[in-house]
Amino acid sequence: MRPGLSPWVSAALLLPFTAALAVFFTVPLFIMAAVSVSRQSFGRFEWAFTWKNYARFVTDAFYWGVLWDTLWLGLAVTAAALLLGYPVAYHLARTRTRWKPLLLVCVLSPLLVGIVIRCYGWMILLADRGLINGTLVEHGWLARPLPLMYNTLGVGIALVHVFLPFMILSLTGVIKRIEPQWLEAGVSLGASPARTFWEITVPLSLPGILAGSLLVFSLAISSFVVPVLLGGFKVYVLPIIVYEQILSVFDWPFGAANAFILFVISLALIAGYVKLTERALRGIV
Amino acid sequence: MERVGWGLRSAVIAVYAFLLLPLAIVTLAAFNAGNYFTFPPQGFSLRWFGNFFARREFMQSLWLSLELGFWTAVISTVVGALAAIALVRGRFRGRDLLNAYVTSPLLLPQILTGVAMLQYFSLIGLAQSYAALLIGHVVVTTPYVVRTVSAVLYNFDVALEEAAQSLGASPVRAFVEITLGIIKPGVVAGAVLAFAISFDNFTISLFLTSPRLTPLPIELFAYLKYSFDPTAAAASAVAIGVTLVLMLGIARFMGLEEFTGF
Repeated sequence: MRPGLSPWVSAALLLPFTAALAVFFTVPLFIMAAVSVSRQSFGRFEWAFTWKNYARFVTDAFYWGVLWDTLWLGLAVTAAALLLGYPVAYHLARTRTRWKPLLLVCVLSPLLVGIVIRCYGWMILLADRGLINGTLVEHGWLARPLPLMYNTLGVGIALVHVFLPFMILSLTGVIKRIEPQWLEAGVSLGASPARTFWEITVPLSLPGILAGSLLVFSLAISSFVVPVLLGGFKVYVLPIIVYEQILSVFDWPFGAANAFILFVISLALIAGYVKLTERALRGIV
Repeated sequence: MERVGWGLRSAVIAVYAFLLLPLAIVTLAAFNAGNYFTFPPQGFSLRWFGNFFARREFMQSLWLSLELGFWTAVISTVVGALAAIALVRGRFRGRDLLNAYVTSPLLLPQILTGVAMLQYFSLIGLAQSYAALLIGHVVVTTPYVVRTVSAVLYNFDVALEEAAQSLGASPVRAFVEITLGIIKPGVVAGAVLAFAISFDNFTISLFLTSPRLTPLPIELFAYLKYSFDPTAAAASAVAIGVTLVLMLGIARFMGLEEFTGF
């Protein structure tokens, strides 16, 4: 039995941050919800209770289209991240190389470099006069640059890059806990390596696959910088609408309503994520 | 396993290349002489760095980002470490719930946190202030400190503290000399991480910024919206350099494996 701090001491230690969190995080979220059902007439904000802002979203085909594009893009990015991330996570979990710390740095380094810089890297690569197109056109291999940027493709590529580390980290933790003996058992019973992989490794890493996918999906649909820089305001996703309504149109109630719709979708995904990771930990540890 | 070996290996190498490519390209473009970066490069030049350091708005925002990162790290390390100690060592009910609450800013998309904070700070008359920016950064970085410090505390043997007490040390002295000594790597890693995240933060800053208070990522974003010359690459290379130094710092104080939670 570990000796513990008394509840009073614990409360005192926890107070500074939980109080700050309550005042500067929880209360603002409630206020955002309240703003989303308020009214703004002729640029003047007034508190009210109306569903008008949500009705405006639901009855306009444009916003349904944006929501659809956002979710579709999130799904495509998640699938690509899973496909690219699994081999790396598998290797990282199983390898005994002494270069492993370096490999971890490679996986983590994009995470710790600002998102604007990562987008800029892709802009240099994908722009019409960027590295790929510039080189191809200059050498006369192409007459016109390929449309790599300011479209869904460019946004998708950069989104996969930005969130791939989260997928790899989610998968590695789970794959690492699969005992090699279980795989050996499969092989010694006559299963081919491919069959062992599909029937033992993949099912056992399912919690990681689901958790990683939920995490990447929820990050992808709420990303703002990537669609703006790589999409050049030609690819419309929900976070861009939120940004425009709040910071350009200054329609706070409608902006807050959009944000709240995004909030509800994220909350559902996060709840699923927390449940999955908890169950995965309980089942294996 | 042997048969898929080379296939797996080449796939893994390709993905690592994909991960590192944009960062390498930005760094190379910063040292490239030409206005546009094509292959082969047009020669080595430091003129973009010269341009970056000569521009007053870039220098102001770099300074602001460093200062903001420093104060964010100081505050979030103190409140985060205190919270972590209570969460790991405390005996009280509802600990899981509090744990989830304390780390919740990590799970919520930052654009939502940013919007909510902007509206809130406007209502209480604190919008576009340094305080608002600092509070925003502290809220999103402290959960990381809680995590790194908790990770170290979980592995910590309480028997050491008890031994110190049985040798005559007061509980407070035992805590200060033993516990603080042992959780130091976690605290340092948390502080470094808090600084790095604040230094690179874009989304929270976007909503709490003002024309007089633009951290480097915001300045860079504004610059990229209108111009495309490699001065931005030089700015990025400087930021990557700062991050690289910090990463090496973390690796030194706390194994990277521990740090990522494997």
